[in-house]
Amino acid sequence: MTGSLRSVAQQVSLRKRSAREVAREALEGIERLNPVLGSFLEVSREEALREADRVDERVSSGEKLALAGVPIAVKDNLWVDGRRVTCASRILEGFRPPGDATAVARLRRAGAVFVGKTNLDEFAMGSSTENSSYQLTRNPWDLERIPGGSSGGSAAAVAARLVPGALGSDTGGSIRQPGACCGVVGFKPSYGRVSRYGLVAFGSSLDQVGPLTRDVSDAARLYGLMAGADPRDSTAADEPVGDPEGALEGGIGGWRVGFLEEGQAEGLDPRVAENLEACRQAFERAGARVTAVSVPRATAAIAIYYVLASAEASSNLARYDGVRYGPRRSETSLTSLYVETRTQGFGPEVKRRILLGNFALSSGYYEAYYGRAQRARSLLIQDFDRAFEEADLIVCPSIPSPAFRLGEKVDDPLQMYLSDIFTVPASLAGLPAISVPSGLSPEGLPLGLQIMAPRYQEERLFAGARAFEREIGFPDEMPRGVRSL
Amino acid sequence: MPGNRKTVTEEVVRKVAELSRLRLPDGELSLWADQLGRIVSYIDQIAQIPEAASLRPAPSPATPVRPDEARPGNGAEALERNAARRFEGFGVVPRVVGGGE
Repeated sequence: MTGSLRSVAQQVSLRKRSAREVAREALEGIERLNPVLGSFLEVSREEALREADRVDERVSSGEKLALAGVPIAVKDNLWVDGRRVTCASRILEGFRPPGDATAVARLRRAGAVFVGKTNLDEFAMGSSTENSSYQLTRNPWDLERIPGGSSGGSAAAVAARLVPGALGSDTGGSIRQPGACCGVVGFKPSYGRVSRYGLVAFGSSLDQVGPLTRDVSDAARLYGLMAGADPRDSTAADEPVGDPEGALEGGIGGWRVGFLEEGQAEGLDPRVAENLEACRQAFERAGARVTAVSVPRATAAIAIYYVLASAEASSNLARYDGVRYGPRRSETSLTSLYVETRTQGFGPEVKRRILLGNFALSSGYYEAYYGRAQRARSLLIQDFDRAFEEADLIVCPSIPSPAFRLGEKVDDPLQMYLSDIFTVPASLAGLPAISVPSGLSPEGLPLGLQIMAPRYQEERLFAGARAFEREIGFPDEMPRGVRSL
Repeated sequence: MPGNRKTVTEEVVRKVAELSRLRLPDGELSLWADQLGRIVSYIDQIAQIPEAASLRPAPSPATPVRPDEARPGNGAEALERNAARRFEGFGVVPRVVGGGE
C-alpha cells in the first residue's frame, strides 16, 4: 500500500477511492506478505470490510474524517472491541476485551479501519519480538534480522507498507527501537499524554501508547487524534494538546539542538557514529545551532529501568492467576492453580522480569535496589531539566547498532536489554521522544535518530523532527527484503 | 553487600520464585541464578550514584478528579464473556476455601 496515511484519508474523503477498496488492498497485501513477515497475529478481514463500509457511509453523509478509511494495525496488547487480545502470551488465550482502548476508540471515531493485531514480545517485554509465544517477526529490510521490539509486528507492517500506520506501546523504547530497526517513524508521547485505558499494563509509571508511521506528519496526525485527558485513565493529563500538525512546518532556524554526549561514548558502533555526523549536518542545514549537552545519569538508565520496570511488571502481572483471565491449570488447590497457571502460561522472559522485580521489592533488598533506583530516577530527571536549559531539543542515536540477526541475543538477556540504552532515558524522565529514520548502514540496514523534547512539548518536537526528516532525506523505497515478494 | 554476583544464589531464586507463584525445576535453578546474577551485578552500578541528602522524589502531578456520578460501565455481559465457567449470570471461580490448603 503506497502513499501516506494522510493521502489515503484525503482520497477517501474526496471519494476518489472507497474505504472498502483501500481495506481490500491492505488485506490482500497482508495475506501475501504475512506468511513470510509474521507481523500480524490475527487479521480481521470481515470486521475490517464492515468497518470500511461504515466509513464509506459516513463519508457519503458528509462527515469530515481525519482518518477516512485509513487501515491501522494495532499491537496485540491494546483492546479492539470484539477482537481477542493476547499480549503474545499463552496466559491470555481466549480473553476478549470488554471494548475499545481509548486510543483505538478515538482513531475509530476519526474513520480508521482496524485490519488486525500485530505481534510483540510477550507482554511487551523484549527488544526483538522473539519473546512472542506465537511466532517470529522478520525485518522487511533483511528477513534474517529482527524487526526490533517489543512493537516489532507494528513496525514491520508499516515498513513493508502493509498499512500506512500502526499503534504500538512504549515502556523503555518499544516503539522507537523497532521504528529505527525497520526504517519507520516511531513516536512515544510524553508520559500522560495518551490514555492507557485498554492498554494491558506492564510498567505503569512508564507505559505510553504511540504511533508508528512512514513519516513524521502522519505520526503527528495519529498523535493529535489520540492525545488528551480521559476520565477512564487518571494518569492521562489534562494538558492542552495544541496543534501538532500545525507545528510541523514551523522550522527550527536558530534553535539549539544538543547532541547527547553520553550518546557518543567510546565504543559507539562506527556505522552509527558516521550516521550521527550526517545528522549533525542535517540540523545545521535546517538552520539550527548544534551544541553538545550532558545528561550524566543517562549512563545508568538501563540499570535504573530494569529495577523499576521489572518491579512494576511483577505487581501488574500478579493478576494473572488463573481465576480471572485465560486458561486455568490445575485446580487441586488454590496455590496449585496459581502456580501451574503462571508457570505454564508465562514465557521465560516474562518469568525473568517477574523474578527480578520481586527480588528488587523483597525484604532485605528493597532499599538497595528499588529505593535507590527511584532516587536515581529523580536525579536523571534533574539532569534532563538542566540539559534543556542549554538546548531546545536533545538528540542521540535511537539504536546502538543496526538490527541484529534473529537468535543472536536470545541467550544473553543483558545484551538484549542494552539494545534500549538510548531509548530508556526519555522513558524514565517521561519525555516525548521520536525516532526518525536517519539513513542506511553500509550493508543497507536502517538507522534512526532519536529526538527528545521537554515534557508536554510535543509541538516543539514535531517541528524539529519534520525539519530533520526533510534535510536527512531517507530513501522512499520498498525495503529490499520484501521488494521481490 | 548487595552487589556482587553471589547475591543471587539458588536459594534466593527459589525463594523469589515462591513469592512469584512460579515453579522452577531444580535442574534449572543454577541457570536462573547465573542469568539473574549477571543482570543484578550490572544493576549494582546504581549504588555508585552519589545522592544528595535533600533529594526528594520527583513530584507527581495531582490526580485529576471528576464529579462523583454514576456512569454506565462496561456491563456485566462483556465481562462475563470471559468467565471460564458461568452459572446463572455469574462467573464461577475455583473453590478457594476448604480445598486442602
